Amino acid sequence: MPSFRRLSLWLGLALSTGAPERLFAQEPARISFETYSLPNGLTVILAPDRSSQVVAVDVWYHVGSRDEVRGRTGFAHLFEHMMFQGSANVKKAEHFQLVEQAGGASNGSTAEDRTNYFQALPSNRLNLGLWLEADRMRSLAVTDSTFANQREAVKEERRLRVDNQPYAGAIFEGMYALADSASCFPYAHSVIGSMDDLNAAKTGDVKAFFDLYYAPNNATLTVVGDFESAEAKRLIEQYFGSIPRGKEPPPVSCESRFNSGAIRRPWPDPKANLAGVLLAYRVPEYRHADFPVIDLLLTILGQGESSRMNKSVVRDQKLAQFAVVISNPFAPRRGPGVLLAFGITNQGVSPDSLEAGLAREFARVISEGVTEAELNKAKNGYRTQLITQQQQALAKAEALQAAALFLGDPEAVNTNWKRYLAVTVADIKRVATTYFRPENSLVLLITPGGAK
Amino acid sequence: MSTVRTVRTGVRGWFVAAGLLLPAVAASQDYPKTPPPPAPLTPAKFPPFYETVLPNGLRLLVVESHKQPIVSLSLNFAAESIKDPAGKDGLAEMVAGLLTKGAGTRSAEQVSEAIESAGGSLTAGAGPDFLSISSTVLTPSLSLAFELIGDAAIRPAFPERELELLRTQTLSALQVSLTQPEVIADRAFRNALYGAHPYARSMTPASVRSLTRADIQAFQRMRLRPSGALLVVAGDVKPVEVRRLALRAFGNWQGVPPASPAAPTSPARTKTELILVHRPGSVQSNILVGNLSFLPTDPRSYAATVTNQVLGGGASSRLFMILREQKSWTYGAYARYARRKGIGYFEASTEVRTEVTDSALKELLHQLERIRSETVDSVELEKAKGSLTGRFPLTIESADQVAGAVANARLYGLAPDYVQTYRVRLGAVTAAQVQATAQATIRPQSAAIVVVGDGAKIYEQIKDVAPITIVDPEGKPLTPLDLSPKVAALELDMSAIVARRDSFAIRLNGAPVGWQRGVVEPTAEGYRYTEDLRLGGFVEQTTVLEFDRTGAMRSVKQTGKQQGQDVSIDVSYAGGRAKGSAKTPDPATGQLKAVTIDTALAPGTLDDNALQALLPALRWRADATWTFNVLSAGQGELKPWTLKVTGTEPVKLGEQSVEAFRAELSGGPAPLVLWVSTGAPHRLLKLSIAGQPVEFVRVP
Repeated sequence: MPSFRRLSLWLGLALSTGAPERLFAQEPARISFETYSLPNGLTVILAPDRSSQVVAVDVWYHVGSRDEVRGRTGFAHLFEHMMFQGSANVKKAEHFQLVEQAGGASNGSTAEDRTNYFQALPSNRLNLGLWLEADRMRSLAVTDSTFANQREAVKEERRLRVDNQPYAGAIFEGMYALADSASCFPYAHSVIGSMDDLNAAKTGDVKAFFDLYYAPNNATLTVVGDFESAEAKRLIEQYFGSIPRGKEPPPVSCESRFNSGAIRRPWPDPKANLAGVLLAYRVPEYRHADFPVIDLLLTILGQGESSRMNKSVVRDQKLAQFAVVISNPFAPRRGPGVLLAFGITNQGVSPDSLEAGLAREFARVISEGVTEAELNKAKNGYRTQLITQQQQALAKAEALQAAALFLGDPEAVNTNWKRYLAVTVADIKRVATTYFRPENSLVLLITPGGAK
Repeated sequence: MSTVRTVRTGVRGWFVAAGLLLPAVAASQDYPKTPPPPAPLTPAKFPPFYETVLPNGLRLLVVESHKQPIVSLSLNFAAESIKDPAGKDGLAEMVAGLLTKGAGTRSAEQVSEAIESAGGSLTAGAGPDFLSISSTVLTPSLSLAFELIGDAAIRPAFPERELELLRTQTLSALQVSLTQPEVIADRAFRNALYGAHPYARSMTPASVRSLTRADIQAFQRMRLRPSGALLVVAGDVKPVEVRRLALRAFGNWQGVPPASPAAPTSPARTKTELILVHRPGSVQSNILVGNLSFLPTDPRSYAATVTNQVLGGGASSRLFMILREQKSWTYGAYARYARRKGIGYFEASTEVRTEVTDSALKELLHQLERIRSETVDSVELEKAKGSLTGRFPLTIESADQVAGAVANARLYGLAPDYVQTYRVRLGAVTAAQVQATAQATIRPQSAAIVVVGDGAKIYEQIKDVAPITIVDPEGKPLTPLDLSPKVAALELDMSAIVARRDSFAIRLNGAPVGWQRGVVEPTAEGYRYTEDLRLGGFVEQTTVLEFDRTGAMRSVKQTGKQQGQDVSIDVSYAGGRAKGSAKTPDPATGQLKAVTIDTALAPGTLDDNALQALLPALRWRADATWTFNVLSAGQGELKPWTLKVTGTEPVKLGEQSVEAFRAELSGGPAPLVLWVSTGAPHRLLKLSIAGQPVEFVRVP
């Protein structure tokens, strides 16, 4: 970067009183942990932290919608429901009750790349959390009736979350429509799946799915909080040690393509009562060197009151009630991801004008870049987010799991921020030029009501 | 996944494969077939905190934690939204929304720039009892957080521009929330419980529009004063430094908020009352049952917490286990005691499929009776207490959780040792206390019951449960006759149907997106109505309707394209039947759907495109309501539609203002509002889709 530019930026910084300085003087506190594997292939991460009486038990199965095949979409998520339907020694719905009676909380969720099951417990109930996870890993009960029941629950959930919600259809479309279904089916269909595929699912499919993907060698168990490592290891060996290793799941293939031509479509939405715009761009996988750059740029563009979208599109031009930018809404991905800009218009504004307003902000980054002050702001925001998530055991467990799966090493939980710290304004401009071009985008113009 | 991993913990840098190296430790122990029992847990003491009062009366609470370099702050006022003057509901919330939108020397944008540049956040909000300004920052920005909170509380600018922006956003959000059944239910329920007490009120579009900058300034000047306010700071701080920063930010600020006038008392209910809120088309019924309870300081609150855990506090409580797990009526069923500084309330709630509304309501009432009449057995009691006390460590995991617990105790005026003794007091609750508390504070024989659902389907089911009042979602009274309107053929004055041409411009958010033209001409058999519709690039279609001299349908033919797909309708009406076929997009999927029609019809059944042709022939009155059968050929559906005149108002057409009947049309795919000139010939002037920015406006 030419030095005169740096100088003028520096002067600009010095003159404006509100200019952010870098706050990275001190590193975020380290998360100390150890990791090992059982002979059956279960990976274990233990991070004791005796500062509170809480323990988090968090299991990630390395399976998600990316592992689904054509005709069986929605399966990973349907399976997550089955995991609460009982096992050899736990009755249907008893999982929630046992955890609740212990004073804890538990749940699960499904994304493209992983399915997670987690509980936060008072630390004297570590044994309960581990046992509940072990029991369903070794002996999930799959019967025709529980399966039929949960399939209906999932269809109800699809109606509730997608079909009956304004704008949700467009956002789901934006999350997957940029992947090419022929060369990258794993990321070209939604986690929630199609109604037809859900209807076609059979009990036998569920059993086969369990055997292939819910084996210890396809899972990572993370325990964070108030426990003795030796005691945790003893319980883990006792509960999980005798679960047999499974087959290696088949590899997932996806060929990602960038800049393959602009897509622009109308999207009538009967549930919406105001027009909206979804602008989506293809971005690379989470561990790619460009991802931290993309993450910081999306903060500059579309996170917070002082973001460019809010200042320009919402407040100055009054095109939208709100406009935000996010990436991969469910979880990071090991394959091609998406960055989504989304806004709902103000009354009297056409979706075309909002589309132009959103696209202009991306174009402006390509032509003019961002300022050092904006970049520092985004880095400071990232750091606060990082530190906030380390205040609770369950959030730390999730961070360790994410580092292990998406960056290939749990130790990345302590080093990933350095990738962010190293980002420069030149990186931002280069990355914007690489990915945020019209020929790499999808635009959905959302209009209220179906065509009459 | 890989097998053994490299371990690089903070202090150790060597390889560990403990699971592999030490399997013998536990291999001898078998896998247990029942849930393992709890290990002993040393009861944790409530974490320490520091409290003081500054000379100006501002109370200060500090919780120290140096685990992470982060601090959260909040400044809390007893600036209750319940003190909003009548008709100004929403004032406290608007004040809170504006405190951070320009204050001290900073504009709204400079405030957000300053806090976000430091990686922090700054928000303000108001509830029924308190108004709070909150911030989270990294430790190096602590003084910035003090400065911004100080500016917001003491020196807010309330710029007109920001007031208008927030008003617009609030009205939009309100418009959306007033269509949601849970919001409708909560508003109706509080209204029934609290009567004349301000806790009964909620913000309305009218109250939001009436708020002025002067109202907002007056509220801030009167209510946001230091004496009695509570500043809470939690995280990576030293009390001594917090005190210094607090004195610098707030030390020169003086004032005592005026005493509140006594709130009017709420109705003393002697018998149960059922309020049915009619929401046509609801597929679920939202049920709330409850009564007023007690003050936050009431000593029965510990027993009430245990009672509630047995009855409906969670997924192992009675209501959930019975209504969801046993009966499969609902996704969830819960109970709670809502805490209010004035007087709180007890509430049991569930949302169920329409068909089981009565069964679910009766079961709910039965469970409320049961917890009063039966003593809870010791197993159930211990489970409930175990869950409540076991949860305790999770509620004090981070410094801001600790601070929140103490702050709540202080704001509600609870005992000084409330947070430290809470678990012990819960643990001491007996089955007799649970029953006595249930008898005193859960009163199904004198409760308010609110059911929000489709009255046409549930009125008969529930009308005998308790004396019933029917209202619409805005609270206007209805009669049982309003629930299922009587369907009849329209009474038409056919002399009003003469050759005519109506043209409309279609606007989306005010921008032209298409047009519609309707032409009426006499034929040998009666009348023909030809309607052309063009909507952007999406819709291009022509509909031809034939009527006889009495206005009865003879045929409908539609041709054209919707979103590039060919659509067609061809239906004949004769001998009390409709026959034909249609191919139009399914509104849910957008895919073309072919429908064959062969159905018997009641006399006077109209095609769904026919009303516009016949509008001038209706007998228009300011209180008219018509309900008539409509055949939607495209969907193959036969349904009653209702056109109800709600009043008269002027409509602007270009420069001209024309007096019009305003009428709401329901029963179709979306509710419509029509404006029809009051003077004959009655012409459609304007049409809008309710709640959506789409309008058809007559072109003169």
